[in-house]
Amino acid sequence: MKADLSPRMKTCLYGLMCVLLVPFVFPTWWMVTSSVKPISDIFAFPPQLVPQNYDWTTYTKVFELQPFVQQYWNSAYIAAVVTIGTMIVSSMAGYAFARIRFPFANTIFMIVLLGLLIPSEVTIVPLFQMFLQAGMVNTHWPLILVPIFGAPSVFSTFVMRQFFVTLPTELEEAARVDGLGRFKIFRKIALPLAKPALASVAIFTFLHSWNLFLEPIVFLSSAEKFTLPQALTQYTDAYGGPMWNIQLAAATLTALPVLIVFIIAQKQFVEGLAHTGLKG
Amino acid sequence: MAEVTLSNVRKSYGAVDIIHGVDLEIRDGEFVVLVGPSGCGKSTLLRMVAGLETITGGDIKIGGRVVNDLDPKDRDIAMVFQNYALYPHMTVATNMGFSLEHRGTSKAEITERVKWAADILGLSHLLDRYPRQLSGGQRQRVAMGRAIVRDPQVFLFDEPLSNLDAKLRVVMRGEIKGLHQKLKTTTVYVTHDQVEAMTMADKIVVLSGGKVEQIGAPLDLYDRPANQFVAGFIGSPAMNFLSGTITPQGFAAPGIVLPLPDATLGSLQRKAIYGIRPEHFVLDDEGVPAEIVLVEPMGSETQVTMKLGETLVTGVFRERVSLSPGATIRVRPDLASIHIFAAEGGQRLN
Repeated sequence: MKADLSPRMKTCLYGLMCVLLVPFVFPTWWMVTSSVKPISDIFAFPPQLVPQNYDWTTYTKVFELQPFVQQYWNSAYIAAVVTIGTMIVSSMAGYAFARIRFPFANTIFMIVLLGLLIPSEVTIVPLFQMFLQAGMVNTHWPLILVPIFGAPSVFSTFVMRQFFVTLPTELEEAARVDGLGRFKIFRKIALPLAKPALASVAIFTFLHSWNLFLEPIVFLSSAEKFTLPQALTQYTDAYGGPMWNIQLAAATLTALPVLIVFIIAQKQFVEGLAHTGLKG
Repeated sequence: MAEVTLSNVRKSYGAVDIIHGVDLEIRDGEFVVLVGPSGCGKSTLLRMVAGLETITGGDIKIGGRVVNDLDPKDRDIAMVFQNYALYPHMTVATNMGFSLEHRGTSKAEITERVKWAADILGLSHLLDRYPRQLSGGQRQRVAMGRAIVRDPQVFLFDEPLSNLDAKLRVVMRGEIKGLHQKLKTTTVYVTHDQVEAMTMADKIVVLSGGKVEQIGAPLDLYDRPANQFVAGFIGSPAMNFLSGTITPQGFAAPGIVLPLPDATLGSLQRKAIYGIRPEHFVLDDEGVPAEIVLVEPMGSETQVTMKLGETLVTGVFRERVSLSPGATIRVRPDLASIHIFAAEGGQRLN
C-alpha cells in the first residue's frame, strides 16, 4: 500500500534526497569529468564541475602506459572464475549444512563461520608462505583459490544455507518419492529454486573479486599479471606522483562494467541485499 | 494395487515412544483413513509407510514385500502432501511427468500418461501453467495427477484438504472418492477431520497417543464405539457423556436418573459414563425433564443445549419445535442407542 505524503513531507523528502545525492553521486561525477580534464583544471579554484577544456588523450595514455587490456582481461576472468567457483562451492556447502544431517553439523558450521571474523590482513602472510612453497606466487591461483575456499566463500555459504533452510522439506520428500537421490534433489529441485540467493552470491562475489586490492599487491609482481585495482596505482610519473587525469580515466574504465551491471541488474542487486540482510 | 500390512510397527525418538506397536491390515483396493487428534501419530505412521521416516521396530509390507529398509522410490507408492509440494519452477505437465522422467519412461509414454491423468482430473487446459498460476483446488488436482500418473500400488494422502476452504473441501472430497472408485488403488488417507473420515473411508483407523483405539467401517465406529475416546471423536456434534453410577433403578447421574439400555447392567453397580448422541434424544411427555439453555435453529434441524440434571448436554431435533431458553421440556433417551463406558479406562460395557 502506498502512503500518500503531504506536499510538505514530499518537499522535505526530496530535499533530503538532494542532500544525500552529493556524497553518493559527486565522487563518480568528479572521477568521470576529471578524467578528461588537463591536470591544472582538476586543481583549479573555484573547482570546475563541468570541464572547460577536454583532453581525451588521457584514455589513449591509459593503454599506452600499461598493458591495460591484459589487466582488464585478468580482472574479468579471475572475477568470473571466482564467481562461478564460489557459486558451486557455497551452494553445495550451504545445502549440506541446511539439509543433510551429519554429526556436529551445527558445530562445524559455527567453526566455518568463524572464518568471517578473521581479517584478511591477518592471514595474508601465512597464505603468502603457503603459495610461495607451492610455487604459485606471481600467478593468479591465489586470487582464485583464496576467495573460492576462504572467507569470502564462507559468507556465500551462509547466504545459501539460510536460503535452503527456508525451502519446504515437502518438496524434497516429494522428489524422494518421485525417485530422486540426494544429488539430483539438489540439482533438479533445490538449486533451480535458489536462483535469487545465487544471484545475490554472484553479485557480491563478482564485486568482491573485481575490487580486490590487498591480495593482488601481495601475490603479483609483474605488470602483465596485475588486476585493475592494482594497475590503477601504477599510473605515476617519474617521481612517483600520481598522474591524476590518466589514473581517473583508468578508474572510470575500471568502474564502467560494474556500473553497467548494476544498472542492468538493479532489481536483483536490491533483492540480493534484502536476501543477505546486509545494509548498503 | 496391493495390500499393505503393518505388524507391531513402532517409532521412538530417543527414549520417547511415538508409535506404540501398530497392527493394521489394508486389503487390496481398500480406502483406509487414519484419523485422530493432532499429535496422535497418524502422519508419522503414513510417513513410515512412505519411507520418509524410519521405523524403530516391526514390519511394513506392501504387496507382500517387506519394505522396512527400502527408499520411498522403491516402494511403488505415490504421496499427496498437505501443502501439495508441487515443484514451483516446473509447469503442471512437467510436475506430473517428473517421476516418470526419472524412471526412464519414454517421452511419448510420459506425454500419453500425463494426458490421461489430466483428462481424468480436468487439468488438460492447465498443463502449461506454473503452480503459482493455479487456485488451491487446481493445485490439489495437480498433486493428485502427479500421484496417479505413475500408476503406483498405493496412494498415500497426508491431510490433502486441510489448506482448502470448507466448500472446496467438500468438492475435492468427492473427487478423491470418485478417483478411488475409478482406479481402485489401495489408498491410505490421513485426516484429523472425522467428517472426511466418515464420508470417504471403507475402513477407519482411530489413533490416539500413538495407539490404535479402534479399526472398523465408518458406521460400525459410529454405532458401536469401542471406548469413550472413539465415541467422543466420531460424530458431530459430539456424543454427550454423563458421569454417574449404574444402579438397579437406572443410571444415577448428578440430579437425574436415566434409563439403562439393558436391565442386566443394573447388577454391575459401578461408576460409569453414560453416552448418548445428540440425535438420540426423543421429545416425549413421559421422558425426563431438561431445562433449555440455548436454542440454535439450523434449518434442517434444531440444536438445543439443555441441562439434564446438573449436566449440560446437546440434543438435535429434526422436527420443527418451538423452544425457548429457560423452558423445561421432557426428553427420552433412545435406549437402543445408548453407550455405557467404564469410568476408569473408558472401555465399552454394553
